[in-house]
Amino acid sequence: MKMALIEVKNLVKRFDDKTVLKGVNVELDQGQVKVIMGASGCGKSTLLRCLNLLVQPTSGQVIFKGEDVTRPGVDVRRLRQQIGFVFQHFALYRHLTVQDNVTLGLTKLRKMTARQAEEKAFHELERVGMFEHRHKYPAQLSGGQKQRAAIVRALAMDPAVLFLDEPTSSLDPEMSREVVTVINRLYLDNVTMFCVTHDAFLAKYISDSVVFMDEGRVLEEDIAERLFYDHPNPRIREFFLGVIDLK
Amino acid sequence: MTFWHILRVLAAGAGYTVLVTLVCIGTGLVVGLAVALLSRLRWRPLRIALFLFTYVFRGVPVLVLLFMVFFGLPGLGIRVPPLMSMVLSLGLICGAYLAEVFRGAMNAVSREEVLAAEAMGMGRVQSFRYVVLPQMLRFSAPGMINEFTSVLKYSPFAYTVGIPEIMKEAMSLTPVILRGLEVYLAVGIIYFGIYRAFLFLFKALEKRFRVPGLAAD
Repeated sequence: MKMALIEVKNLVKRFDDKTVLKGVNVELDQGQVKVIMGASGCGKSTLLRCLNLLVQPTSGQVIFKGEDVTRPGVDVRRLRQQIGFVFQHFALYRHLTVQDNVTLGLTKLRKMTARQAEEKAFHELERVGMFEHRHKYPAQLSGGQKQRAAIVRALAMDPAVLFLDEPTSSLDPEMSREVVTVINRLYLDNVTMFCVTHDAFLAKYISDSVVFMDEGRVLEEDIAERLFYDHPNPRIREFFLGVIDLK
Repeated sequence: MTFWHILRVLAAGAGYTVLVTLVCIGTGLVVGLAVALLSRLRWRPLRIALFLFTYVFRGVPVLVLLFMVFFGLPGLGIRVPPLMSMVLSLGLICGAYLAEVFRGAMNAVSREEVLAAEAMGMGRVQSFRYVVLPQMLRFSAPGMINEFTSVLKYSPFAYTVGIPEIMKEAMSLTPVILRGLEVYLAVGIIYFGIYRAFLFLFKALEKRFRVPGLAAD
């Protein structure tokens, strides 16, 4: 029987008196790319952060590689080292060059030598066309370059899965296209990804399926084409009519 | 005795001035960093104690605290050597001020970068060591330089507890040659020289570690 890489069972997250996730069930297989879409505040980013325990779920289970990581005593740092995380606002370490951003985790967490880390960084930077920018600091990069550097930093750790939290939301259309191209290349390279986005263009070109969330629940999961156009559910139809112009 | 001779006699005390300044700066750095870090812990009694420390030590004059330590503590049977008295007065006051500088700088480090470090699998100590500390030290540079120069300017109080630094030499020389104006002019010149040398060193360090575009969040 095929086992999902990540299995989320009835996940609930409550912040004080506000319940953001109301029993989410979703799975992600090895090599699969799932995009999570939905209106702002529907719990997409919270779901992603619950999966690597940056946010502690209130109840429910997250099964990662067959292990329940929500149980007490789990090695959170080991879990996170297997999950690459790309933030909306890049979150590059601003005091480090692009190359040092990439090698920091390799030397301090993966315990590679400086030479090994550098070789790995060079390889990954070339993969996304950032090699010539390796000595630049984040402030010297464009938004698209920053996000590509952030993707490299996450990828260099050889994660089992890459989480992308609104990777194109803070970019203008041209830079956004640049990042979509990189993510699409990862998709073609069979990198397992969970991506939260409002960007229908990104969703269409990188996803195996799209999960639509509404008010803390998964309302529907389907391939992008079926979800985006004339969906029978009025809430989904209304949402995608408002956000996309794919034709 | 020429002015040049006066300068040379007084310069003999410059070593002690630099020593007092460096020791107090070192104490201030360690204490300031420790207070700023420990203030982030959620244990309320500790936070209150650290708040009181910075509140009180920033409000007490250096000379008063120095006299309390050097002349007051022996009354309780605790004899504190001169240099240690400077550490426990000027050093701790410097620490209290630097704690505020560091606290502000720490708050200026992007929360998302710390989150990125944690998402990568770093623990609290690692994310502090590799992400927060390098940035907060850079953000603190102007405040630190300001504080370091203040320490230098307060260092002449060391003469009151018998440390043979520049002022002590001047106080000894003036009654002998009876040329106070020249003696204290020479003192001013030496202090100014040390001040400029320190400033040059600090600015050079700041420039060496400056990162393009890195500004407080």
